[in-house]
Amino acid sequence: MTVRVHKLQLTRRFVQLLVLAYILAVPAVARYVNYLSARELDKNIEKWDGEMQGALLDGLDGIFRSLPDGEVVRDGEVIRIDTPVRNRAQVLDYAQEVRGGMWSAEIAGLSITDPLAGAESIAASGRAEKVLWISLILPLIVTILLGRVFCSWICPVGLLLELTDRLRGILRFLEVAPREIRFSRWIKYTLLAVGILLTALLAMPVLGYVYPPAIVGRELHDFVFGLFDAAERGDFGFNIDGLTWMNLIILGIVAFEITISRRWWCRYVCPGGALYSLLGAARLVRIRRRPEKCTQCGTCVTVCPVGLTPMTDRMGKECDNCGRCFSYCPDKALTFGLGAKSAKMSTKGSVEGKGGQPS
Amino acid sequence: MKGKKEKTEKSARRSFVGLAGATAARAAVAGGLVAGFLGLRRNRAAPAGARNGLGIVRPPGALEEAEFLSLCIRCTRCADSCVTACLRLFGPEAGDLQGTPYLIPGERACNLCLECGATCPTGAIKLLEKKEEAKMGLAVVDERLCVSHNGTGVCGACHTVCPLRNRAITQDFRNAPVVHDDKCSGCGLCEEICIVRDRRGIRVTTDRGWTTAGGNRPKTAAGGESSS
Repeated sequence: MTVRVHKLQLTRRFVQLLVLAYILAVPAVARYVNYLSARELDKNIEKWDGEMQGALLDGLDGIFRSLPDGEVVRDGEVIRIDTPVRNRAQVLDYAQEVRGGMWSAEIAGLSITDPLAGAESIAASGRAEKVLWISLILPLIVTILLGRVFCSWICPVGLLLELTDRLRGILRFLEVAPREIRFSRWIKYTLLAVGILLTALLAMPVLGYVYPPAIVGRELHDFVFGLFDAAERGDFGFNIDGLTWMNLIILGIVAFEITISRRWWCRYVCPGGALYSLLGAARLVRIRRRPEKCTQCGTCVTVCPVGLTPMTDRMGKECDNCGRCFSYCPDKALTFGLGAKSAKMSTKGSVEGKGGQPS
Repeated sequence: MKGKKEKTEKSARRSFVGLAGATAARAAVAGGLVAGFLGLRRNRAAPAGARNGLGIVRPPGALEEAEFLSLCIRCTRCADSCVTACLRLFGPEAGDLQGTPYLIPGERACNLCLECGATCPTGAIKLLEKKEEAKMGLAVVDERLCVSHNGTGVCGACHTVCPLRNRAITQDFRNAPVVHDDKCSGCGLCEEICIVRDRRGIRVTTDRGWTTAGGNRPKTAAGGESSS
């Protein structure tokens, strides 16, 4: 099998890394903005010598100050601020437009909330505010049209677990065969239902504490804040106080996936993935197979991260449109197509896939 | 024949493993959550005197505590939007409060910019129209510590800094502050500026209950609370 890395897969990896960078950048920028604002509020910004406290703030300051000059419009007044504050006021205006992490984010006024977070908030409080609906619009539309793309294109834990999948390949190369146990896909739907029920009973969001993207987003946020705190005190090194036992959940998942079950979490357990699967069940963009080209080589079955069988059109709602089967198909038999219903089961060359999971 | 039997046994074992794993996972998650929840709720029972400066101070516009906790999804957006960096997020030691915003007015107070209410995606923090509507708590003057009240000096710093000057805080004939409960928004600027250190002469109190975790008050200050 020749391995071609398709442009689509490179784009996907780039988007995933961009999201990861975003998660790390937001708390850092927030700290910088807070530091500057505190000085501006004190009306000291003209007198202030521009010293930043701590190496991290200094570094960020260097980056922001190397940006091109510009004017700042505040309350209809054009303000031009000289060094050493030049550009900083501008940063204040723009950097603050980015807030939040994986659970909910606001980018330049566009509010986005994870549907699972929305579901939890609604279940726990019994009501949905208008602001919540507004912030759910974009993810809902994207999921309904494109399916479970959050999992394959955005989720930082998905990225981590994809790399874990590579480790399994290394293990196999070392002739330590990792086990490959399949579980029931109903686990994740059950977990979602139980989680929402518990949320409603306890009147507090509970799935946010087991949903890995939320954990990672929150922990990285705390971690970056902790780094800045340490730098302001003059300490160096990693502040692991900010990291909690919740990371053990992630580590446990990684260990389990390396040794026992391939992509266990995303395939069988993730409650967020379950919700996205349900929302994307009638998605418009789907993987289509051209039976006349397909040679039933089975490459798509091995590369599929969610354990589906594109070879026999067994896709259903689980497919996260990552496009790996599309990219790796040696016969170019798989394409992206439009249409709410999955392709007709073709009689020609249709073989019951052994690992196929009807859904 | 033998191979076939092995195969069926294996698949049976496999499905058993799957079923057992699923059941165990479900039981563990449910049990852990319920147990954790009960334990944490017990922790949060407010002791007598908790009103005096130990309450959790939430951002301006935050709904009543139970409602707030059910709506809040712990997304960190309010803390990212906070201009003064007064909003902190509870750490994991605070149990079910983890990730919810609070502030320590004595260390850094809110300037009522109301950005957190504007960015909150669930309405747990309401967007207020006027700063005066904020009710984060109530400033209470400790007459034994306040220098204007106990006669060791003349200060008036809290009156000067109050965003609702002459409405929420007025001064009596000795320049001693008098807080008007119906006007005070509990922003905590008075507590932040108070010249009496370690334990402030004016402190924001709330009726939101308190937490042993997360350190809503600096330890030195919390230690002395029970005596007052």
